[in-house]
Amino acid sequence: MTLTDVEPPSPADAPALRPAAATSRARREAKGAGRVMGVLGALLLGGCVLVAVFAPVFTPYSPTEPAGTPFSRPSSDHPLGTNDVGQDLLAQLLFGTRLSLVIALSAAAIALVVGLWVAVVAGFYRGATETVLMRIVDLMLGFPFLMLVIVLAAFFGRGLGTTIGVLATVLWARPARVLRSQVLKLREVDHVLAARAMGCPGRWAISRHILPRITPLAAVQFVRIANIAVMLEASLSFLGLGDPSRISWGTMLYFANARSAFLTDAWKWWILPPGLALTAVILGLAFLGYAVEEWADPRLRRTAPRPVRRRSMPPAPPEAASAPALRLEGLVVEYKLPGSSVRAVDGVDLTVPRGHIVGLVGESGCGKTSIALTVSGVLRPPGRVEEGRMWLAGHDLGRPARPAVAPFRGRKVALVPQAAMNALNPAYPVLDQVAEAARLTRGAAATRRAHELLERVGIDRSRHDAFPHELSGGMKQRAVIAMALVNEPALLVADEPASGLDVVTRAQVLKLLVELRDELDVGILMVSHDLPTVSRMADELAVMYAGRIVERGPAATVSSAPQHPYTRALFSAFPSLYGECRPLAGLPGEVPDLTSTTAGCRFRPRCDEAVEHCAEEEPALAPSPEGTTEVACLLRRAPGAASDGDGDRDAAAARGLGP
Amino acid sequence: MKRHLLRTVGQYGAVLFAAIVLNFALPRLAPGDAIDYILPDEVAGALTPAQRTEILDRFGLDDSMPEQFGAYLGGIARGDLLVSVRFGRPVTSLLLERVGWTLLLVGGSLVLSTLLGAALGFRSAWRRGTSADTGALGAIMFLDALPPFFIGTLLLLVFSVGLGWFPSYGALSGQEAEGLALVGEVLRRAVLPVATLTIAGLGPMYLVARSALVGELQEDYVLMAEAKGLTDREVRRHAARNALLPVSTVALVGLGTLVGGAAVVETVFSYPGLGRLIYESVLARDYPVLQGAFLLLIITVVLANLINDLAYPLLDPRVRRPRPRRA
Repeated sequence: MTLTDVEPPSPADAPALRPAAATSRARREAKGAGRVMGVLGALLLGGCVLVAVFAPVFTPYSPTEPAGTPFSRPSSDHPLGTNDVGQDLLAQLLFGTRLSLVIALSAAAIALVVGLWVAVVAGFYRGATETVLMRIVDLMLGFPFLMLVIVLAAFFGRGLGTTIGVLATVLWARPARVLRSQVLKLREVDHVLAARAMGCPGRWAISRHILPRITPLAAVQFVRIANIAVMLEASLSFLGLGDPSRISWGTMLYFANARSAFLTDAWKWWILPPGLALTAVILGLAFLGYAVEEWADPRLRRTAPRPVRRRSMPPAPPEAASAPALRLEGLVVEYKLPGSSVRAVDGVDLTVPRGHIVGLVGESGCGKTSIALTVSGVLRPPGRVEEGRMWLAGHDLGRPARPAVAPFRGRKVALVPQAAMNALNPAYPVLDQVAEAARLTRGAAATRRAHELLERVGIDRSRHDAFPHELSGGMKQRAVIAMALVNEPALLVADEPASGLDVVTRAQVLKLLVELRDELDVGILMVSHDLPTVSRMADELAVMYAGRIVERGPAATVSSAPQHPYTRALFSAFPSLYGECRPLAGLPGEVPDLTSTTAGCRFRPRCDEAVEHCAEEEPALAPSPEGTTEVACLLRRAPGAASDGDGDRDAAAARGLGP
Repeated sequence: MKRHLLRTVGQYGAVLFAAIVLNFALPRLAPGDAIDYILPDEVAGALTPAQRTEILDRFGLDDSMPEQFGAYLGGIARGDLLVSVRFGRPVTSLLLERVGWTLLLVGGSLVLSTLLGAALGFRSAWRRGTSADTGALGAIMFLDALPPFFIGTLLLLVFSVGLGWFPSYGALSGQEAEGLALVGEVLRRAVLPVATLTIAGLGPMYLVARSALVGELQEDYVLMAEAKGLTDREVRRHAARNALLPVSTVALVGLGTLVGGAAVVETVFSYPGLGRLIYESVLARDYPVLQGAFLLLIITVVLANLINDLAYPLLDPRVRRPRPRRA
């Protein structure tokens, strides 16, 4: 049964576009709309709490005793005038704050405790208990809140206790449902599973692991239901169903409405102040809720990339035919975060000739994907191209920021993104998605072209109208490749093009890529950490480390005789290199935190050959001693090839090579 | 698929049954005896014990609980609810007379707030983090913080009392009107209540639409749509298509909230709908009407949820055409 609220998207689903180290930092330094709202919310609520506590200080009158002539206009004695029985309206407003807050907060607290208990019991112990509890929750959420409150209040009489009880009764189901789904997730977290497997009592796991972790979400829920509680209490009192012996803002409005205060100008001091006070509290709670939620889910904080208007592609320059598919010079990509920035790509030069496959390899977080996204024109904020120049099939694009690459997307450069399984829109049949891309160059013939390409990549015509979820992983991968190549681009960027597929399917998909490269004369930039495969397929290899290329050369040479200590480590860690990004065996340490730039070679802390000089000079790419590859290492430098003009030091470094 | 359908219908059947049981049990759990419940206080207080027994006997209220429950279920099945204390008329006819007005208000504002809220929310999501988004978010959160009855009162003050554009109360004027004039009159008098409910329903719609689209825009298929050269408008359509799922759910499920809001708004505008009837019945302690209205509301809300569940497959091909199981 689908009901009222939509689960907030989980931060865990976010694609790993920025280095992990930066995420926690960003979380600490939350800024922007959420922070402003948090401050505003706290101020609004804080003000109300102060008024509630110090109400007697601000007014000499009681809210329930007649204090002047009925219906008197505002005067120095009664700043907001009096009502129909002569009670002071300012006193009612100030004391009303107390009642509204007490009712809302205690109802929300009770509801949260009940909801939390249900969530933990249902989510942690599961089984029949869960089924029954969650059915009840569904039932509760199915009823219209306000109606239930009105009916319950009507049957159970009026009073403070009844109001609080009735509100708590209708409110507990919401936190119960949201929190249960979180408990379910936490329950399967490794260390909780381990604790349970070792026979720890459930109570221990709950108090030690579950409760602390759902506290932020519980806080969000508390604010949310307190918000609803204020609104419900006001509505209830407005209908005259609140506690008749006490005055809340809703009660004030009830009497104002009943005495037709809006027909005279009495509304200015009788209706407006309590209405605005209610708005202030609800707004304060809403702002606070938003801020807390954003703090709990950093994904909500991302800014959108600026919209790009697609311009038409400029005419091809004369040298286009002979030009390489891609030339990249001095590319610098930064991820700007509040308070810090990460230089994910730091001065990379790269060329992909047409009809060639260039493999870009390295550990996770070294900047490979940033290059892939930049070149495809889809780098998203907070990522930003700081420097660099790009040529695409002879077109000089200048600095390859999104708007510069956008006109070429699909036509000259295409992307097969990471996890291509998710690169198809679940709502449309694959044929439509391919045809939609083909429309760029084929116009009315797009559908025919889409059929053609889908068949070429090996998807039978009978499956063209299938939805993505009806295809296997390998088929989806093929469909994505068809989509990318349908306009015969000069450059194909393939980011982990076969990850997540079984060995046989992977081999087939990669074979397909090689065939298509030959047929369409497309240059392929293949980003991967599957070293064995890439070195077998690629014509050329570029090895990245911490935002820089450390070695580059013909694939066969680089893999058979790696020069750079990092490349060597990579290739010696070969057999264990399948699968997802875990720290390499035989290579201690991790990719350095790219927020801090240290002097010298970036690989030095993990390098077992490092000498003193490595800490001082950052090596540039230069021909290796054998002259077959280029390598960025002070210890592997061809004799006579001076680096940035410091020949003496270089020589000293070379001498340091000996024992 | 068939099993899913049966399960869904079964679950809603359970909700409905629970509501019916609750509706039966509530007045019997409430303080006071049945006489206080069906008769106005003045009358109940003046009864002799003999008269009390006779009334209880006539209405079957001294039967055992199962017997009473059976009679109650039978009544519902025949569409025969109790008789209103205040009007002395069958509750069923009273409800039918009023429900049309509420449908007008709730239906109108549901459509308006959904379209407006989704459009604004999608726009915000597309520009998230910019000042346009922050501005819209702040403004909508402010509107959402205004209690519906306060919005209604303000609109009444400005457009009715102040500017005199719209009448301040009722659904029809006293004069006889026919044809187009009647339609015009009805629409004119519905403007302010519908506007109130629309503003009140806008916030949740906007927030859901915004957060749903923000979520979709992070998906890989959006990246792919951009990379394959689609225009921004086409990319937006891709993401919005999937963000419509939660939006439609909230629209139909939000019906319950709007019906609740209608009770308050109809009171402000003295609009002769179901909400106003409920309010008056609460004040007059006309419990039979209250009970009947509550039952009707529950049926409506359950139906809306059911429609949502049944309509879901139309929007999501993964539900419509589940992947065939491999042998």
